[in-house]
Amino acid sequence: MFGLNKIIPVEPNINFLGLRRNFLIFSILAILISIGLLSIKGLNLGIDFKGGTLIEVSTKNTSIGELREILSSSYSDVSLQEFGNENIILIRLQNKSNQESIETVNSVKNLIQDKVVEFRRSEFVGPTISSELLFRGFQAVSFALIAILIYIWLRFEWQFGFGAVVALTHDVLFTLGLLSILNVEFSLATIAAILTIAGYSINDTVVIFDRVRENLRKYKKLELVDLFNLSVNNTLSRTIMTSLTTLLALVSLFVFGGEVIRPFALTMIIGVIIGTYSSVFIAVPTLLIFKFRPQDEDD
Amino acid sequence: MKNYPIWKSFTVVSLVLLGIIFAIPSIIYDENSENWFLKNKINLGLDLQGGSYLLLEVQLDVLYKEELDNFVDSVRLISRDQAVKIEKIDIQENEVVVFFGNKEKIKDIRDSFFQMYRGVTLQINNNKLSIKLNDEYKKIIQDSAIKQSLEIVRKRIDESGTKEPLIQRSGKKRILLQLPGVKDPERIKDLLGKTAKLTFHIVDNDNVSAIQNNLASFGKIIVQDMYDENTKYLLDKRAVVGGENLVDAKGSFDQTEGHAVSFRFDTEGAQKFGKVTTNNIGKNLAVVLDGVVITAPRISSAITGGSGIITGNFNAQEASDLAVLLRAGALPAPLEIVEERSVGAGLGADSIAAGQIAAIIGMVLVCVFMILIYGTFGALANISLIVNLFIIISLLGTIGATLTLPGIAGIVLTIGMAVDANVLIFERIKEESLKQTKVFQIVKNGFDRAMSTILDANITTLIAAVLLFAFGSGPIRGFSITLSLGVIASMFTALMLTNFLVYMYLSFANKKELKL
Repeated sequence: MFGLNKIIPVEPNINFLGLRRNFLIFSILAILISIGLLSIKGLNLGIDFKGGTLIEVSTKNTSIGELREILSSSYSDVSLQEFGNENIILIRLQNKSNQESIETVNSVKNLIQDKVVEFRRSEFVGPTISSELLFRGFQAVSFALIAILIYIWLRFEWQFGFGAVVALTHDVLFTLGLLSILNVEFSLATIAAILTIAGYSINDTVVIFDRVRENLRKYKKLELVDLFNLSVNNTLSRTIMTSLTTLLALVSLFVFGGEVIRPFALTMIIGVIIGTYSSVFIAVPTLLIFKFRPQDEDD
Repeated sequence: MKNYPIWKSFTVVSLVLLGIIFAIPSIIYDENSENWFLKNKINLGLDLQGGSYLLLEVQLDVLYKEELDNFVDSVRLISRDQAVKIEKIDIQENEVVVFFGNKEKIKDIRDSFFQMYRGVTLQINNNKLSIKLNDEYKKIIQDSAIKQSLEIVRKRIDESGTKEPLIQRSGKKRILLQLPGVKDPERIKDLLGKTAKLTFHIVDNDNVSAIQNNLASFGKIIVQDMYDENTKYLLDKRAVVGGENLVDAKGSFDQTEGHAVSFRFDTEGAQKFGKVTTNNIGKNLAVVLDGVVITAPRISSAITGGSGIITGNFNAQEASDLAVLLRAGALPAPLEIVEERSVGAGLGADSIAAGQIAAIIGMVLVCVFMILIYGTFGALANISLIVNLFIIISLLGTIGATLTLPGIAGIVLTIGMAVDANVLIFERIKEESLKQTKVFQIVKNGFDRAMSTILDANITTLIAAVLLFAFGSGPIRGFSITLSLGVIASMFTALMLTNFLVYMYLSFANKKELKL
């Protein structure tokens, strides 16, 4: 055996809870900034949620400038971007009505037909569909948060459920804020990533909460802050290891998985990091609001 | 092997074998295999194999409007019979309001109208009669329109030669189409974009002022030419005969007229057509398709054979597409394409290749990491991880699930998450090993105590995946499927397979002490 695991001692003794005020301030600031960004700058909505047309083409010896010239004479709201390599170009158009844009797909294709080797992808989302998709995505995320909350309530005492939801909401908002700053395209796949983050980031929290509950029974005399610290330290290595393995897979997806999936992978990477952080620095300190000692309770 | 029940080893080994065996069809992936076993392979989604996804919306408003127009015509007829003058007609979204010159006979008009149409709400207010479409009536219109549209769409797609299309109703007024392998979605969209309502009308050449003033008298309509919007025709509103009486239509070629569509009527249509052409020799007959006149030839002799040709400035493709449309029949209302997602085969293949590379590299990274951190135990966890992948693939193949690009992402993500349960177990074992020295007891405690945490952690992920399936659509569902299967498979591999492997290892290596 290589014994690299010795890097993290079985019983580390780091005063996480002592730092809680600093991290709390950091997180509150991050959340406020995120909310501010979301309401002012907003997310970089993709056509799933904004409606419009997207056409991906591969070209031969045609520069992006040439294509832009051809298209911008007919369309004022066209944007072009290289996608992965210089021979693959992504064309986006914002459309006003459904009918117009299904025709747009055809006429754009006709305009650039002889410059293009292959139409790799064409997508059109009408305005009614995009608003429906946005609404459903919002519903899915809200229901997921509620369902997870209910599950944690059933499995733990309600105080833990509260802590978990604070952490989850933190994760979702913080992630959205970062997506806004980084201008990552927000699509159906990003919603999927957010939901998965909600389901996954709770894992670390559950691991720590499990230990808190166990320690509450074991060390009846210990100060709560010390007990929480002990619990976080007890479980620190698994919190780090589980997140690292997942990050390894996600980084591979980010680097090698192709352009289309990259925003999804990036969102997940951000979410996993934030989720791990919040398990330790948000979820556990939230429990301090409550009094867990038997002498404080009736039973 | 100490105290490891035979039945448990048997279950674990056979599940693993099943997982590997049923993954074979998807790994070999012989697209055209008819073999009963090899047929159980993964279906590739449209985003991976290439194809078109279209969502069509039936324009019900057009139908409601048509029905309101019928109301107007009927009211005009009735009031003409009753000799009541109509002052004004107001057509709103859901109702028609008719203002009469006097209010004496308004009740009679209402009663006559009610005899013709059920499902309407009639209201009299002084000299005003309002006719409103009921919700139930609208629902009947809606249901029959969707049913008809589905049937027509199916016929048109079949005629277009698309293989294995999926055509289904989606919600109240939409039709969902999945067309794998379609190379030219533009043509399909053209085919679906036309209502293809064909009617024949007698042209009124006598009343020239009507066209000049752009005002059709009662019972007439003004229709423009298909090729020249300045050419207009005044036609009898009533069609002589329509596309519903056609039994066949084919693209044909005529020496003098070029490409054309030849058609044949059924008996009823042939009779009507024969009668009208006999009675109207010398007049023009307009062929109207979707509200424009394709051609309006002069009737030189009676046509009683029940067949004819439609000429226009067609090319071969246009003539044959029009024939397809006429054969399939008219849509009850126009269809609007509200969503399209088409992926070419090239991008699909690239996505598969990229996904495979990401999965393999992710796998290698995770495996190396596990061995570095947990040594032999890590290697055992890696065996579980590989088996886990086989199980996901075999489950996808046997339940006939569809693998999409997000689905591949779900598999890569699962690679990272599947070892989490092993990490929890190993960390617990590490802790237990500080408390006591009996090797098998340590391992047993490690697994037992990690169990509830593993369940909790995985169930929350499953909740998210299930909700994603419920609210998601298309490719995203593919993600929730692979993620769910991955999570479920990882619970089995961690709690049973890794457990089995660890016991095996400890028994055979005859370990007296445990250091992790």
